Amino acid sequence: MIASLAWKNIWRNKKRSLIIILATALGLWGCLLAGAIWMGWGESMVDTAIDRDLSNIQIHKKGYTQNNEIVNFIPNGFRILKETQSIAGVKAVSGRTLVEAMAASPTSTFGVKIVGIIPAQAKKVTDIYNRLIEGNYFTGNGRNPIVIGKKLATRLGLKLHSKIVLSFQGLDGSLNYAAFRIVGIYKTESSLFDQSNVFMQQADLFRLLSSKPIIHEIAIRTESARIMPQVYDVLKPKYSHLAVQTWEELAPEVAFTSAAMESFTYIFLGIILFALLFGITNTMLMAVMERVRELGVLIAVGMKKGKIFAMILLETILLSITGGIAGIVIGGLSIAYFSHTGIDLSALASSMETFGASTLLHPFLPLDMYIALTVMIVITASISAVLPAWKAVHIQPSAAIRTY
Amino acid sequence: MPLIELKNLSKTYNTTAFPVHAVNNVNLKIEKKEFTAIVGPSGSGKTTLLNLIGGLDKPTGGSVFVEDRDIATLKSNELIDFRLHHIGFVFQAYNLIPVFTAKENVEFIMLLQGISKTERDKKAIELLNAVGLGERIDSRPSQLSGGQQQRVAVARALASRPNFVLADEPTANLDSHTAESLLDLMEQLNKDYEMTFVFSTHDPRVIKRAHRVVTLEDGAIKFDVGGKN
Ligand SMILES: Nc1ncnc2c1ncn2[C@@H]1O[C@H](COP(=O)(O)OP(=O)(O)OP(=O)(O)O)[C@@H](O)[C@H]1O
Ligand SMILES: [Mg+2]
Repeated sequence: MIASLAWKNIWRNKKRSLIIILATALGLWGCLLAGAIWMGWGESMVDTAIDRDLSNIQIHKKGYTQNNEIVNFIPNGFRILKETQSIAGVKAVSGRTLVEAMAASPTSTFGVKIVGIIPAQAKKVTDIYNRLIEGNYFTGNGRNPIVIGKKLATRLGLKLHSKIVLSFQGLDGSLNYAAFRIVGIYKTESSLFDQSNVFMQQADLFRLLSSKPIIHEIAIRTESARIMPQVYDVLKPKYSHLAVQTWEELAPEVAFTSAAMESFTYIFLGIILFALLFGITNTMLMAVMERVRELGVLIAVGMKKGKIFAMILLETILLSITGGIAGIVIGGLSIAYFSHTGIDLSALASSMETFGASTLLHPFLPLDMYIALTVMIVITASISAVLPAWKAVHIQPSAAIRTY
Repeated sequence: MPLIELKNLSKTYNTTAFPVHAVNNVNLKIEKKEFTAIVGPSGSGKTTLLNLIGGLDKPTGGSVFVEDRDIATLKSNELIDFRLHHIGFVFQAYNLIPVFTAKENVEFIMLLQGISKTERDKKAIELLNAVGLGERIDSRPSQLSGGQQQRVAVARALASRPNFVLADEPTANLDSHTAESLLDLMEQLNKDYEMTFVFSTHDPRVIKRAHRVVTLEDGAIKFDVGGKN
């Protein structure tokens, strides 16, 4: 009955209540959508980075990331590659032979990283094959095929089927030169990546290096992002002599940006709710002031202070939650809509690509964010209610009843 | 043991200009089942006296005893609880919660007392029938006339099974015919439920209906006519 009284009281001044409900709803709607876009952006950065080259977990020889010389290959790399393949939760693995090199065209030179792969293996781990804008992904049978990024091609003034010369140190320190035929040109969201990574088949690389088969990096894709920690927990002790790292450790800046998006959303939410706090307090103060006489009568006939306080608190929470739910519903619906259609940010494409995020964003907001938001609204409402409820509790019935 | 006993009761308002002795050394005993009118000219202290008896205001001197209990000993929330269980209130106007129906208004006080829904329903309907509003239980105050609203207020005052009902000028906003019929009702309830009524008025037609008339002047009792003692 008190709840129904509180609810009915809200609608005594329809216009005033609707204004605050609308303000709450619109504030939250904007905030949720903005948050979802940020989160979608962060997620997109993570996803594209994982799909492009990071994968979920990587194994290197200890110290390789600091000193990426060709001699720092993984001992027994191929045996370990095979073993990791059969660990529960692992979807695919790819062994990579990495060689620092200088790429030269008739007009220019540029430092690159040669990534030696087995195409069939690599396709299951990363999606470079899907990013080809010209040519193919090692399906032809020419000699020394190479796949390079669009950015590098532009820098060096090269086209599909052009010849590119790479110079790199061999295992013994000797300098090797070799010419490659560009069979494919790829383009990812990250121009930084595109200009510095060239792909070739391991067999070609080993022949040119006159080396036994070696790999420097094992890239592992897990069945799902959620299972990654479990797989990591198995790999870490098993290969304690090697460096087993998750993508978050390998690319802390990507992990940080993605996490920062969530923090931004919460900060933005906090600001919006803080502003709403004053609106709600004001609305409820007016509501209490208008009803001084009525509240005085209630106190006179025997409604205790705790109940009066609870009634005003409940009224405030109902008012805020109504706006909050409206905001969450329209926010949720528009997020669902945009996450379905995607938001095309190609107008901002060049700056977005530098950050390595896709230009078609799919905004999303995790469920716990909605729950946290609901809790935050209730807390905001409760804080807003304190002053009005305090006023209501301190009404002197004898004085209130004399006011007409 | 009198139901209500006022001993040397005083209330002085310290206004900036000069102190106002709104109630000045009042001694009064009211027994169970009495039907008492507090009368006097405007400003004589009727409202102040009723507020002191009802524990809505604190005296500046003397004491109010209800069934030998000094209500000054009650803490703020105990006093509210005391009012809830022992006193029924009817005010001059705007007694009711506007968003509630007549029945809900009567029920609400019983809800505060923690009475079960079925009993609340039964009692609210019984009382609204007793005040002649059996047909209007689902009407909002705004849909009722002033007289009907005061009847609902009387029904609410009785709903908590109080020891007595305090009514400050319950007929002030009513025309004389309606005022008379509200008095009829109160008199009937006084008889049927043996309910003690203390009400203030300055309407001569209402004064006539009281069994006992206490006349105030400048906050002091000038006459006390028709009492049992
Ligand atoms: N809060 C207050 N502060 C100062 N003086 C007050 C206050 N309340 C009442 N008074 C004064 O106390 C005196 C008694 O007032 P009270 O309202 O009790 O009279 P009343 O008999 O009920 O009058 P009425 O018939 O007009 O309702 C008046 O002189 C009034 O001005
Ligand atoms: Mg008065």
